Amino acid sequence: MSLLELNNISKIYGDLKALDNVSLKVDTGEWVAIMGPSGSGKSTLMNIIGCMDKPTSGEVILDGKDIAKESAKNLTAIRRDKIGLIFQQFHLVNYLTAVENVMVSQYYHSIPDEKEALEALARVGLAERARHLPSQLSGGEQQRVCIARALINYPEIVLADEPTGNLDEANENIVLDIFKQLHREGTTLIVVTHDPEVGEVAQRTITLEHGKILRDAKNPGFE
Amino acid sequence: MFLRMIRGAFSRQIKKMLMIALTIALGASLATAMLNVMLDVGDKVNQELKTYGANIIVVPKSTSVLNNLYEVEDGSATAGSYLKESELGKIKTIFWAFNIVDYAPFIEAQVTLPDGSGAVMTGSWFNHHMELPTGETLDTGIQNLRTWWDITAGDWINEQRDASENEIMVGEALAKRLGITAGDTLALSSGHADKTLSVVGVFSAGGDEDEEIFAPLGIAQEFAGAEGFCSSIEVSALTTPDNELAEKAARLGPGSLSVSQYETWYCTAYVSSICFQIQEVITDSVASPVRQVAESEGSILEKTELLMVLITILSLIGSALGITNLVTASVMERSNEIGLLKAIGATDGRISALILSEIMITGIVGAVIGYFAGIGFAQIIGRTVFQSSIEMKLLVIPVVAVLVLAVTLAGSIPAIRMLLRLRPAEVLHGR
Ligand SMILES: Nc1ncnc2c1ncn2[C@@H]1O[C@H](COP(=O)(O)OP(=O)(O)OP(=O)(O)O)[C@@H](O)[C@H]1O
Ligand SMILES: [Mg+2]
Repeated sequence: MSLLELNNISKIYGDLKALDNVSLKVDTGEWVAIMGPSGSGKSTLMNIIGCMDKPTSGEVILDGKDIAKESAKNLTAIRRDKIGLIFQQFHLVNYLTAVENVMVSQYYHSIPDEKEALEALARVGLAERARHLPSQLSGGEQQRVCIARALINYPEIVLADEPTGNLDEANENIVLDIFKQLHREGTTLIVVTHDPEVGEVAQRTITLEHGKILRDAKNPGFE
Repeated sequence: MFLRMIRGAFSRQIKKMLMIALTIALGASLATAMLNVMLDVGDKVNQELKTYGANIIVVPKSTSVLNNLYEVEDGSATAGSYLKESELGKIKTIFWAFNIVDYAPFIEAQVTLPDGSGAVMTGSWFNHHMELPTGETLDTGIQNLRTWWDITAGDWINEQRDASENEIMVGEALAKRLGITAGDTLALSSGHADKTLSVVGVFSAGGDEDEEIFAPLGIAQEFAGAEGFCSSIEVSALTTPDNELAEKAARLGPGSLSVSQYETWYCTAYVSSICFQIQEVITDSVASPVRQVAESEGSILEKTELLMVLITILSLIGSALGITNLVTASVMERSNEIGLLKAIGATDGRISALILSEIMITGIVGAVIGYFAGIGFAQIIGRTVFQSSIEMKLLVIPVVAVLVLAVTLAGSIPAIRMLLRLRPAEVLHGR
């Protein structure tokens, strides 16, 4: 059984079909890249998978449960327990240090554990910078804090929307190396990207256009 | 973690939080000041109103009858009918003695000036010191009853000095006519006495008194040939506004009341019951309210309090609006952060608790600052408006605390509602 299954998902804004009858399956441990031109519905799709939005119609089956009809409160709980989110703009809390930003996620999930949060930062190579505020970190470092935060509660799926969109080449490679590491450890990854290089390293690439799946293919170059 | 987040939020937005705290402080300080003044103001306003003069006048029974029948001016047809000076102390022994704030006896004498013209000499107390039978002391006299007098030269007569027995004060108009001022002497005579007195002060009263000479009671008694007597007593008393019972007693006399009504009336500080009690202790006297002033005291007090309540309410509404603006702006500015917290699994309740805690801490800081500032305001109001300090009431603290809590919560409602409506998907992907 797939970890995630979308059946005939549509999202309609007025007379604009941001997603038009999309169906797809993602298995546990898969690394999927979602590509497509601007406005093709990538973020919309991620929001629905990430339980931050509901489709106008269709089913979203996560872990065997249809979440499309859940209440906002239950969606918050599902998001907290099963999803790790990584953003293009990092979205760190600007008055908290790196380690505190990771701990916030623990705090709303269960109980904050500073030691564990520091280990998570060490895994993304930021042990030295754990006590810095986001404003004192480079973009790449901030994104790594964001990744550490997304991973801290052992989510079933990590969703990343343009994770390298604001990063230079060197930082992009650091992030991709982390993704590779996560994939080896068996984490399910869904990454939205414009960047063909980021798309190519994934196991499978889904291309959207005008809210429809244009292509869905295994990557020949994978590993 | 909660504490870390709150501490972080404060260190980051200290300026904004200070603005909110100051807004709350402003409201709290006004509320504190007004409540303190209001709770203390009963006495203050009464003491202030007292400065408009006495509210009860006591005259001999014969004078009263003649005055009422023929509307005769004081001092002409009434010669020979006096009140006893020796009974004056008894006024401070009546049931409502505590409400008698000031009083002074008066006697008039017709005197001849050096140039042969005539003038009125009024004898009274200036700052008379009394040892009361109760063991208390009272300093009273026209220095308290004529607060509107403007001393244009010299000073008040000080009865506590021995020399005061030969001192007088002269009304401004008369002083100008005679070309004298403080420090000069004035030779006066009447059918009963002939003396040279020293002028210690010139006053402007803005009325008939500007043509008169004011002297200590004893001197005027000598010139009037009425040692040990006075012709009227002015009394300033704190009174309770009249109600039906008081009006009935005043109209038909206390005899018309039933026993229990009489008890109630006698034991309430109505101006009529105080008058009645004065008549009981001063032989052959008639005490009557100086109507307009006595009545207005109660109602002015009520109006003043109403005004202060209104100011307090308005200032609280003002700070609630201010808080609304500031808190809403701050939540709006932090919509990214709030969206993120929601995205990583924070429930609406926990985020509201976080934001409310921040606002409440700010509110407490503001309330404390405001409370102390308010105490200062209250003193300033006391000094400038009532010329006396305001006593602080502990009761004000819980009242202000509750008001600040209510205002802060009310002011935060729009921000909290906005926060609840905020959807993470809308702020996190750059839209
Ligand atoms: N809340 C909304 N209300 C109305 N239209 C919306 C809303 N959200 C998205 N859309 C529209 O839906 C379409 C898909 O948007 P989406 O954000 O999914 O695109 P995207 O593929 O992520 O684009 P980009 O690469 O620029 O991020 C766009 O045309 C967008 O204008
Ligand atoms: Mg997008």
